[in-house]
Amino acid sequence: MDETPRQRILEATYSCVARWGLSKTTVEDAAREAGLSRATVYRYFPGGRDELVDAVVSWQHLKFFATLYEEVHGASSLEEVLERGLAFARRAVLEHEVLQMVLRTEPGVLLPKLTVESNRTVALISGFLVPYLQAEELAPGMSIHHAADFLARMILSYISSPGHWELDDPEQVASLVRFELLPGVLRRPPVGTGGG
Amino acid sequence: MRGRRGECDSYEAALVGSSRASAQRRVPIGPSGTQRVRIVDGALRCLVRQGVAKTTLDDVAREAGCSRATVYRVFPGGKEGVLTAVVETEVARLFSALGVAMGEASEIEDVLVAGMTEAATRIGGHEALAYLLENEPGVVLPYLAFGHMDDVLIASSSFAAPFLGRWLDHDEARRVAEWATRIVVSYIACPAEGVDLTDIESVRRLVRTFVIPGIRTLRSSTAASGVSQPDPTDSSKGREPTTSTPTIAKGEAS
Repeated sequence: MDETPRQRILEATYSCVARWGLSKTTVEDAAREAGLSRATVYRYFPGGRDELVDAVVSWQHLKFFATLYEEVHGASSLEEVLERGLAFARRAVLEHEVLQMVLRTEPGVLLPKLTVESNRTVALISGFLVPYLQAEELAPGMSIHHAADFLARMILSYISSPGHWELDDPEQVASLVRFELLPGVLRRPPVGTGGG
Repeated sequence: MRGRRGECDSYEAALVGSSRASAQRRVPIGPSGTQRVRIVDGALRCLVRQGVAKTTLDDVAREAGCSRATVYRVFPGGKEGVLTAVVETEVARLFSALGVAMGEASEIEDVLVAGMTEAATRIGGHEALAYLLENEPGVVLPYLAFGHMDDVLIASSSFAAPFLGRWLDHDEARRVAEWATRIVVSYIACPAEGVDLTDIESVRRLVRTFVIPGIRTLRSSTAASGVSQPDPTDSSKGREPTTSTPTIAKGEAS
């Protein structure tokens, strides 16, 4: 497969992070893994290590959303988008071995990127939802932006920490969507199979 | 903020010991309960100043006005034990303040608004937390997302659910309490323009916009499934206060 050098560096950095963690990965490691010189890596990531690590996190984010889009593509209602999206995203988080490893061993390095700087994640999820919300009649006084922001926050919360919910149980996910996500957002009553 | 701050303070004092008073006066070594509180408060002041990693047991002992040996006697677990006690004490203080705030409310909307505002205000104004978020995010952030946030959600919803028990059955109360906790954590971790959770009117707008419609839908679905319930968000039909949490119907979500 034809890869741009930037892409190749990101892949290589990701492999290094998987092996050694975020803080122990250096520009040299990434360059060696990519089969490029250190100078080349710096040409693409002038900020060095920090920029590289941020870029890998963003890249994984975008990759995740691309997969998520495929997963919910063709859903026939907003409810279905949210139900499929929540279940898929939770599974993806659990099965993401590198994410789980870094969360375990270096929470202080990764979590600032995912929580305090979570504006970016909220904005990504929210942007993803806007087209689906545009197709709906919203509750009186509700703006698309406000609705998308609230949904994004809640989705991020459930995906990251399900609390007492089992997101692999379709009935529970439907109940979440029907009672906690949509009633304040939509003018119409949300439909779904979820029980109280 | 509220007129009954005095009551709140005495409630806290009863729960965790007279913190500020004993922290400021170097009282002679008393019963071990008092000593414990002084050590915990001393450790808390160390955290505000220098965080977790740089705080030694010597610092804690100096701050508490006792010897290192005394700290070990009260906390055989050493630094780890002291830190655990600090967290437990601060959580107890937060919960007792939340209990007072929510206990004063007479409608479900007010319970939620009071609890969420109080929590956001206390957490936002917590000096040690602020220091740690700034300087040692790895200590605090695991509680705001992923793994440990589940512990926070479960502790918080178990604590807050009974305050909703006048209007909701057991499972509904737990899920609404967990939901409210998520909203608070979300805006603390990721502030939004135009939303200020330390402002009671801002919280009320959020609760009215998103949470109350959800509770209405939840209750009408329970009613449709055969269990007759008054609308909890209609204050004219609010149930009389009861001392225990009534369990009317088992919800399906568990």
